[in-house]
Amino acid sequence: MSAKGESYAEILEARGISRGDFLKYCSLLSVYLGLSASMVPRVVKAMETKSRIPVIWLHGLECTCCSESFIRSSHPIAADIVLNMISLDYNDTLSAAAGHQLEAVRKQIMKDYKGKYILAVEGNAPVKDNGVYCMVNGESFLSVLKETAADAMAVIAWGSCASFGCVQNAKPNPTGATPVHKIIRNKPVVNVPGCPPIAEVMTGVIAHYITFGSLPELDRLKRPRTFYGTRIHDKCERRSYFDAGMFVERFDDEGARNGWCLYKMGCKGPTTYNACSSIKWNEGTSFPIGSGHPCFGCAAPGFWDNGPFYTRLADIGFVGTDSTADKIGAVAVGGAAAGMAAHAIGTAVKKARDSKPEPTEVEEG
Amino acid sequence: MTTMYEEQYVWRLPVRVYHWINAAAITVLFLTGLYIASPLMSSPPGEATWYHGMAWIRLIHFATAFIFIANFVFRLYWALFGRDNYARFAGFTPWKPAWWGQPFKDQLASYLFIAKEEPNYCGHNPVAALTHFLFVFCGSFFMIFTGLAMYGENNPGGFIDTLFGWVVLLFGSSFAMHTVHHLVAWVFPVYLVLHLYAVVRHDVVDKSSVTSSIITGYKHRVEQCPELFAD
Repeated sequence: MSAKGESYAEILEARGISRGDFLKYCSLLSVYLGLSASMVPRVVKAMETKSRIPVIWLHGLECTCCSESFIRSSHPIAADIVLNMISLDYNDTLSAAAGHQLEAVRKQIMKDYKGKYILAVEGNAPVKDNGVYCMVNGESFLSVLKETAADAMAVIAWGSCASFGCVQNAKPNPTGATPVHKIIRNKPVVNVPGCPPIAEVMTGVIAHYITFGSLPELDRLKRPRTFYGTRIHDKCERRSYFDAGMFVERFDDEGARNGWCLYKMGCKGPTTYNACSSIKWNEGTSFPIGSGHPCFGCAAPGFWDNGPFYTRLADIGFVGTDSTADKIGAVAVGGAAAGMAAHAIGTAVKKARDSKPEPTEVEEG
Repeated sequence: MTTMYEEQYVWRLPVRVYHWINAAAITVLFLTGLYIASPLMSSPPGEATWYHGMAWIRLIHFATAFIFIANFVFRLYWALFGRDNYARFAGFTPWKPAWWGQPFKDQLASYLFIAKEEPNYCGHNPVAALTHFLFVFCGSFFMIFTGLAMYGENNPGGFIDTLFGWVVLLFGSSFAMHTVHHLVAWVFPVYLVLHLYAVVRHDVVDKSSVTSSIITGYKHRVEQCPELFAD
């Protein structure tokens, strides 16, 4: 099992990673965290001296895409750090152990590192009918989550499921799927939304904790500001086409081939906060918009209910139909006009009737 | 019966200026807003740096929005502190049951053809005041708050985002807020239909020259004004 008190640097050294590579990794990490160059030595020192923070990684209602993303951190050492940190502790997907053996590990960590471990949660907990819609090892995930969070130092909600609910709590949310921060209210919770979140964002959040001993600065939705501070739109490589008004109208048109703005194809970049357009994916290769596909806002709360993905205007349920704001508005204006026309006729009829039987009341002009 | 027309100065200059700035701003905001949501212009060929079509429309929307807000704030000031009997909030007290009393009922009954009499007010009649409150006051308030919250997104952590960013949380996500902002914008054209119909109708029925009064400021009193409240 884990060697207590081992620092990240020692782990990396044991794995044959050179000092130069280690320093490179620390510099890169500082850039991801938005730190100035003068802070790099602090990151290095933290990585050299601080002992590992144990992480328990739970899986609730989810698809494991967060784990998949996490183990693909672009920098090899980042992945190494992360895997060391997790494979030694508890992750029911990545661990070699399984079943009761693994559950014993979780209980052991909770006991040995009481109040000192980070709880990483992938997926959310269905709360309807006492949480029977997600059972782990014969227990409801809801109770496992509460139990494990009770002695955690902080909780990291990985991915849109844990942060906001994602597809599980899209309407009508049959299982009562509830994001982590609405269940765990007495612990600091960090939301790292995205479906999945970018690997570097995930390692960055843990690295921040290691370096500074505190959670990164969060915004109103409890997301780390460093990574979720701006919209994808604001750093999008196609932004100039947006400002110019050059839009892709169809996926096979000239604009699509020339890499124009995907706004009219339903791109949610203008309303989605994530680092996709700056850090990108798969070792900085590309991101959805870079590959010609509109962003569908997977890091935004309730994105499944703001569909369809490929139109700009959302469908709004309106007397049993799927309408857009413009359709509803046009109907309302039409209704008002019809109502006023009917009223005008009513007025004319009334005037005519009023003036007939009592001619004395007619104005003489 | 010969009718005596008495000229009455009802809408003072600040109110009339507010009205027309508001009308122009709402028109510009509504049209540019629709354009921003679904840009119609066909994309010109060439380099993106040559054009600023969308950027211009957005700039016009934002600039007009600030004029609209300033105008709205001025109107609030005038309604609260202006020495203007016909433009003040003072008489508008819908939280008091008395406000919904006889004057309101009479006016509504007349609009619904239940009552024969057509009450004729110098300023706003109670039903008109309520309509203005719901559509113009509440509508504008809503559009200003959601609008500023969206504008703040251009500079996260900035002044406007700090003041109005919390509004986004009420709607769950920025996209949901955009959708509601878009939907509520339709309140204004609906109101326009009601408003234009009502003033033209009052002109015809009361002969009070209400339509031209928002340019000249003068209405013509044809008969005794009913008292809104007996103090």
